[in-house]
Amino acid sequence: MVSINLKPSKHPLAEYIYHLEAGAAMLQDSPGNVLEVVGILKSYGIVLDAYYRNLIYIADHQFLVLFPFFKYFNGEVSVDKLLRHWWHDRINFEYAEYCMRAMMWHGGGGLDSYLDSPEFKALAEKAIEAKLKGNFVMLSLHKLFPEFLPEQIRQLCYYSALGQFWRVMSDMFIDLSDRYDRKEITSIPQVVQHIQDGLVAAANNPITYQVTINGQVYEIIPPSVGLTFLMDTAVPYVEAVFFRGTPFPGTISYNAQAAQIPLEQSDFIYGALYADPLPIGGAGIPPTLLMQDMRHFLPPYLHDIYRRGRREEDDLRVQICQSFQKSMFCVTTAAIRGLAPHPLDTSDPDQQRANRIYLETWMNRFIPSRLVDVNRGEM
Amino acid sequence: MLSVLIWVPLIGAAIVAWWPGEISSLHLRRVTLAITVGLLVWNIAIVTQFNPDLDGMQLSEYVPWIEQIGFNYQVGIDGISLPMVCLNSLLTVVAIYSSDRHIDRPRLYYALLLLINFGVTGTFLAQDLLLFFLFYELELIPLYFLIAIWGGERRAYAATKFLLYTALSGILVLASFLGVVWFSGAATFGYEPLREAVLPLGTQIILLSGLLVAFGIKIPFFPFHTWLPDAHVEASTPISVLLAGVLLKMGTYGLLRFGLGLFPEAWQVLAPWLATWAAVSALYGALAAISQKDMKKVVAYSSIAHMAFILLAFAAATPLSLVASVCQMVSHGLISGLLFLLVGVVGKKTGTRDVDQLRGLLNPERGLPLIGSLMILGAMASAGIPGMVGFIAEFMLFRGSFPVFPVQTLLCMVGTGLTAVYFLLMINKVFFGRLSERVENLPRVYWSDRLPAVALAIAVVIFGLQPNWLVRWSEHNTNSLMLGARRSQNIGLVNQVNQTMTLPMANSGVIDN
Repeated sequence: MVSINLKPSKHPLAEYIYHLEAGAAMLQDSPGNVLEVVGILKSYGIVLDAYYRNLIYIADHQFLVLFPFFKYFNGEVSVDKLLRHWWHDRINFEYAEYCMRAMMWHGGGGLDSYLDSPEFKALAEKAIEAKLKGNFVMLSLHKLFPEFLPEQIRQLCYYSALGQFWRVMSDMFIDLSDRYDRKEITSIPQVVQHIQDGLVAAANNPITYQVTINGQVYEIIPPSVGLTFLMDTAVPYVEAVFFRGTPFPGTISYNAQAAQIPLEQSDFIYGALYADPLPIGGAGIPPTLLMQDMRHFLPPYLHDIYRRGRREEDDLRVQICQSFQKSMFCVTTAAIRGLAPHPLDTSDPDQQRANRIYLETWMNRFIPSRLVDVNRGEM
Repeated sequence: MLSVLIWVPLIGAAIVAWWPGEISSLHLRRVTLAITVGLLVWNIAIVTQFNPDLDGMQLSEYVPWIEQIGFNYQVGIDGISLPMVCLNSLLTVVAIYSSDRHIDRPRLYYALLLLINFGVTGTFLAQDLLLFFLFYELELIPLYFLIAIWGGERRAYAATKFLLYTALSGILVLASFLGVVWFSGAATFGYEPLREAVLPLGTQIILLSGLLVAFGIKIPFFPFHTWLPDAHVEASTPISVLLAGVLLKMGTYGLLRFGLGLFPEAWQVLAPWLATWAAVSALYGALAAISQKDMKKVVAYSSIAHMAFILLAFAAATPLSLVASVCQMVSHGLISGLLFLLVGVVGKKTGTRDVDQLRGLLNPERGLPLIGSLMILGAMASAGIPGMVGFIAEFMLFRGSFPVFPVQTLLCMVGTGLTAVYFLLMINKVFFGRLSERVENLPRVYWSDRLPAVALAIAVVIFGLQPNWLVRWSEHNTNSLMLGARRSQNIGLVNQVNQTMTLPMANSGVIDN
């Protein structure tokens, strides 16, 4: 729908701008899409639950453990768990770490700024001294390499922050599935609205981090810093994971042959919204781990649809990735709507113009993305 | 014992063709498979009875037939024919297993496959020249129909071309055999008596030339090869497997058994020319393969190149090269069978074999990863990478031939080097990179599609790691062919040129060392 107050947009993705202005989502609304998105977000919610518990565990209980051999065991080490870990039929917590590192590498938001501040350095130093008390070897090494341990703590902050972010998202996606089961959710705009409401409700949740060493609590990110859920974790997360992706070997292996690896950090566009689902399953490609995890928790109605595909279950992970990509466009729609300068259904021409510029800026980033492909229903 | 191998397929063909009442394609397939698996087991029983340390034919059977013209039913097996018969049995099972389960006119199809098995087995076991010729010709008819009825779009053209070429081959074989009996004054077509016959060198050269052209068409060598790529491209996958795996070997087997066996003096006169012919054919096949766009044509031209190595080994005629030639026949049968099976699966699942249209088929979820992996293994085996049977065969072959014909051997080695070039070009285009758009949603690959190729791949690796299981059968019999050649020198039929040639032959007993 084109606003009567504005000229038609000349943007190549103008169609999607009109959709958003009309209150629709970037993903086409259809019963099939609703089923796929809700189903995949349910399995994603279950996996995120496991991821966030492990991230928080590592942040809280593996603080400055330099050889964290059992960091994925959440404190419950047994022979059974060890064998299962080596057999790899388990939750691949490594994926959560890839995402954490992507956030850390790309930075952005208040968390990134805070971790470079003298305040953080002072608090980190206190915790390091407490942790290394009596350990002269480590204290000497810390004096020799004073940036090493603070950098480890910066990383642990991201562990904690991503864990806190995913705790909210996991509950949100499970709740979405429950509402779908109760027939309260029947369309893609309702899915988007559910996510947007969840993000808005949690927007000002504080992001904090403290560790307990020898019975004493040490603040690393105190509440006084004022980091919040939406602007300091959600937005940097979307930027890093949805738009830029993980700069690790394997993720982009086939693109490397075409000399497509960007030289500039800001040019990375290999995030979830740009990922080609076909290489899924290749060795060393991190999204494969997520798909591998989600396949264990697919709701039966979605699993049946996948089984009816031409390859049946042979390409299950590719099919999951395609559905996941659709769901991530819904999450992105919610984020775009939530961050818009004015309500998208405003009737004020000035606000409409501001929104149009805002949306066209977003759409510039979607030109090389999979937006058109997921709506084409191809593959 | 041997007659079971020959006549059971014929009886089986009759049962399949005239089975009373309605029977589904699947049931016919099972019946045919049961017959051929039974034959394979029988073959294994024969292997256990076979003594590789004995010279001459074993398990021989003789039934007088038309004694007035010296034509008798006479069969036997030695270390040269044993691997061929086993290969035939194995590849027939593979071909039937990999046939379309719901093929049209299944009675005729399976009956014709059994008839091919009948003809090929008879060819390898016949110890009478006329009997060999009858079996050699008999196999043409079912193969013609198998290409003409179940082939591709240009099947009529390809089948007719195949028939014309190979019928000419048959006529030349018959003419040469009649010439041998006529000029030697023998009263029989029996193979062993005719080996003792003494013929003038000029007559030998004329008769041998006939056989060389005849079998040169069948194998085929450049420039008699033009029927083969067409036949392969139009034939269905199981027929291509049989054609490349076994039927071409009838030519090399005939050349070894009757060319070298009956005309050792003439052979040595022509040997330098034959070695040069082998080098030209090998290089032509390899260069032609590089320029192909159809995967099946790449494998077909590769066949022409690799079969030429066998001619080089025959020409050198050292103990090692002759053992290697038998080894190369089996090796090529297994590897080309494997490659044609894999190309068949690619064609069946993607709908094309065009290397310009296929890309990224190694994709682990949406592509054909196991098929691609086996294709890489097959290409490595064909290029002679150690650890696989291709290396054993080609290493022995070149090592055995080099002392006699160094230049031609080096040229053939360039040909085997080019194997890596054309197969890697094909594999890089078809299997690497991102899956091309037209093959993004391929149908599922079932284990039944993969199983025959996996079985052949295992054989390729096993014989590569334990080559003695393949080589030990032939050594005595190929040596006896050598002794025949040396005996002829002693009775003064060999001229000075030949004597100089025998020196390296006598010194090149690498296998004994």
